[in-house]
Amino acid sequence: MISKIKTLLAATAITGMIAVTCNGTAQAASQELIDAAKKEGKVVWYTALVVNQVVRPLAEAFQAKYGIKVEFVSALWQEQALRMINEGKTGKVQGDIFDGPPAFEQVYAAGFVEPYLIPSAADYPAAYKDPKGLWTAHSLQPTGIAVNTDLVQEKDYPKTYEDLLDPKWKGRMAWTTSTSAGGPPGFIGMILDHMGEEKGMEYLRKLAKQDIINVPSNQRVVLDKAVAGEVPLVLSVYNYHIPISQAKGAPIKWIKIEPLSGHLGTFSLIKNAPHPNAARLLLDFIMSEEGETIQARAGYIPAHPAVPAENPSLKPEGNYTFSGIAPDRMMVEGPRWVKIYRELFE
Amino acid sequence: MTHIQTRNASVSAWPRLWLGQPLGQGNVLAFVLVVVLALLVLPPLLVLLRISFTEFHAGFREGGFTFQHYVGLIQSNTLFRSTVNSVLFAALSTVISLIFGGILAWLVERTDVRFKPLAFLTSVVSMGTPYILYVTGWLFLLGKAGPLNRTWFELTGSPANLFEVNSLAGMVLVEGFLWSPLVFLLLSATFRAANAEMEEAARMSGASVADTILRVSFQLARPAIVALALFVFIRNLEAFEVPALVGIPGNVSVLTTEIYRGMKHMPPDIGFVSAYAMVMVAVIAILLHYYGKLSDRAERFASITGKGFRPRPFRLGRLRWLGGGIILFNFFIVLVLPLGAIFWMSVLPFVQPIRPSAFRAITWENYQRVLTDSYYWGLAGNTLIVAGTVATLVVALTFLTGWVVARRKRGARIIDQLVTVPLVFPGLVLGIAMLQLALRAPVPIYGTLWIIILGFIIRYVPYGMRYSFSGVLQIHTELEQAAAVSGANTREMLFKVVAPLLVPALASGWIFVFLIATKEMSMPLLLAGAQSQTIPVAMFELWTSGQSGEVAALGLIWAAAMTVLSASFYALTRQASAATFGK
Repeated sequence: MISKIKTLLAATAITGMIAVTCNGTAQAASQELIDAAKKEGKVVWYTALVVNQVVRPLAEAFQAKYGIKVEFVSALWQEQALRMINEGKTGKVQGDIFDGPPAFEQVYAAGFVEPYLIPSAADYPAAYKDPKGLWTAHSLQPTGIAVNTDLVQEKDYPKTYEDLLDPKWKGRMAWTTSTSAGGPPGFIGMILDHMGEEKGMEYLRKLAKQDIINVPSNQRVVLDKAVAGEVPLVLSVYNYHIPISQAKGAPIKWIKIEPLSGHLGTFSLIKNAPHPNAARLLLDFIMSEEGETIQARAGYIPAHPAVPAENPSLKPEGNYTFSGIAPDRMMVEGPRWVKIYRELFE
Repeated sequence: MTHIQTRNASVSAWPRLWLGQPLGQGNVLAFVLVVVLALLVLPPLLVLLRISFTEFHAGFREGGFTFQHYVGLIQSNTLFRSTVNSVLFAALSTVISLIFGGILAWLVERTDVRFKPLAFLTSVVSMGTPYILYVTGWLFLLGKAGPLNRTWFELTGSPANLFEVNSLAGMVLVEGFLWSPLVFLLLSATFRAANAEMEEAARMSGASVADTILRVSFQLARPAIVALALFVFIRNLEAFEVPALVGIPGNVSVLTTEIYRGMKHMPPDIGFVSAYAMVMVAVIAILLHYYGKLSDRAERFASITGKGFRPRPFRLGRLRWLGGGIILFNFFIVLVLPLGAIFWMSVLPFVQPIRPSAFRAITWENYQRVLTDSYYWGLAGNTLIVAGTVATLVVALTFLTGWVVARRKRGARIIDQLVTVPLVFPGLVLGIAMLQLALRAPVPIYGTLWIIILGFIIRYVPYGMRYSFSGVLQIHTELEQAAAVSGANTREMLFKVVAPLLVPALASGWIFVFLIATKEMSMPLLLAGAQSQTIPVAMFELWTSGQSGEVAALGLIWAAAMTVLSASFYALTRQASAATFGK
């Protein structure tokens, strides 16, 4: 009799737990998860995001809320992907979560991504998350063109992509070396989509003759080159970084030429993460209204439907055509665009 | 400083003195040292060699033996181009740092030039400053937004730069400046140690200042200069910071940046990278062989006498203002301007040209951040732990190896050769090898500070050896013989007689290794994990992800702290040299 009751109780406990997990639609994280996460004490985040803009504020807020330490490692996504693949390959996993679609594509292909349907992202538009939970977007990352307003007069602003072929831009444009949808390959994909295969390739060959400077850093550093006046015009920079610099008084302007290329800023969970519960809790926090508000306040474009962007004109909806490339498409077509980039521009 | 002189025992001019009777303990010591050194220096070489001949399948599964990586290397169009660039870059920047550092050293050591303290100040500060900080400072100065091109733009309105920094010329200039303080320190030691009587004789026989310099001073120092030139050349071949930050944006690739790029290709082609690295290792090994020969010759040319007198300095006469100008030029170009540029970046919310309107935006926010954020304190803690442990273990190990080799004990020859092996690795390549070792190691060393410490120990054993070896040579064997006769065994003799006498040499070695371990970024770049970030690595990562302001503030604070240490290093070596050569 007693044993029957015990079994029943156990069964209720289990079903109860499941109910909590399934029922997590945009709700606060479950107490079980919080307790388990606190027991782990910390979480390791491999990031390619700009530390002082979003990583540090998110980490501090999470630490303050749950008392769980966030250890972040900042590096370009290539190094992060290499790190995660090496760790996964040898079973010496140290990272728990990571951001960025290009890293996702590599780490997923190597088989080291753990699917997780983040409860707080339940209400996100379907396009902003993988149905299996392999990745979830925290922000939109449209890439565009920016000019230094001290160096370029308004009459010289390019108005179409063709204008970039003007001889006056030769050797005076820069972009990142990042082979992601947020870098030259994404730009190439967008041009081929937009102009068609034949005309697009013709355009790209002409553009390659303009000797674009390859900056071995991320889009933020490329934009800083224009801010500092080292190059008058930069390509494939995140459009939301431009107002962040403008707010500090930088002589920089977004030139809205449509369509915009780019991608989604994503997060994923690492397979065999050493702190799986703290990792899930941090992901849940980042995607929650609270986490998304922190990102919006930093000037990022939040993916959360209920969190408005600080600067609404940056959002594609009703403002511009955004031909951002999702990770699944990038994994199929990306390698060809990377090849075009290497052959024409490197 | 980094002038390595682990000479073969057979060519040493020191008298062949053996202890009275063979000591059993001595043999055990030599055996243990050979085993320890072999276990340290050989695995990185072997792991790279093996990977470079291993076939890889999808998902990084290892297959059988293959030549495909080397075939791919020969077929790729990058090897030839980057080799040519590497050689040009290394050779030209060697010339710049040698001419610049050499003239400075001669002026300071041999003439009555003004502003001598400024030359030392420049070197001392530069020894404590991370390379990456200098490089970014010069990048700003010589870049489009820097004063040079900016003035040109304002004068002419031409969008073309007066000087394009992201070019081979820019790389050569920056690397040349980067190494000139070290060349200065090393050559000033050479000039100080050289016998001035010959210069005096030349002057008294009626030779002009120029003739004396060209025909006597530089002829005497020539073997040392040639050996140093080859050494700097090798270091420039291995350089990573300048090629990465200056070269890549201008599409100028050299061997190290090609290796780095190969590691970052997705998926990373580790076989190809290892083959590339083995080619570099082979080239450097050949160069090192010649370097060994040259530095032996340099020793034989040395005209050190026992006479403890300081030569009368040259009177430059009317040329004195020119000499002073060169010292000031060095002070500004190598110290004030780059660090000033970094300071400028550190107090502004975003990088902008130096102009009146920017002064309004000055803020100390970056300094506040760096000083209050536990992240940065953690980095500093890691870096100090790494550098302290590395310096201590390297000095301990090389104290023993230095003694065995200097006294030509049994095993001296093989120990000497093992100690020089790490010199063939560029930092980045050693980092890749250590990463592969850590990933395959049965002990959980991956992602910890230990793997970085181990890598640095391997890398700096030759440097520690240089200090202990020459330190032991200066101690007369009589003392050791007396100890042996009085019944001391090897251990007692080493720790009660040799060690106390070696303290100044070992202390200099300790600080030197400590300082370079806090500065180097390329070796730990790929090894640093979540808990094992160091200051230079974090600076590079933060820099490449757009945090220039905070990195600049962090770098300046760090450089100030390290300068204190480097000043004590300088004081120690001066003291040691004063003891030997007189004040």
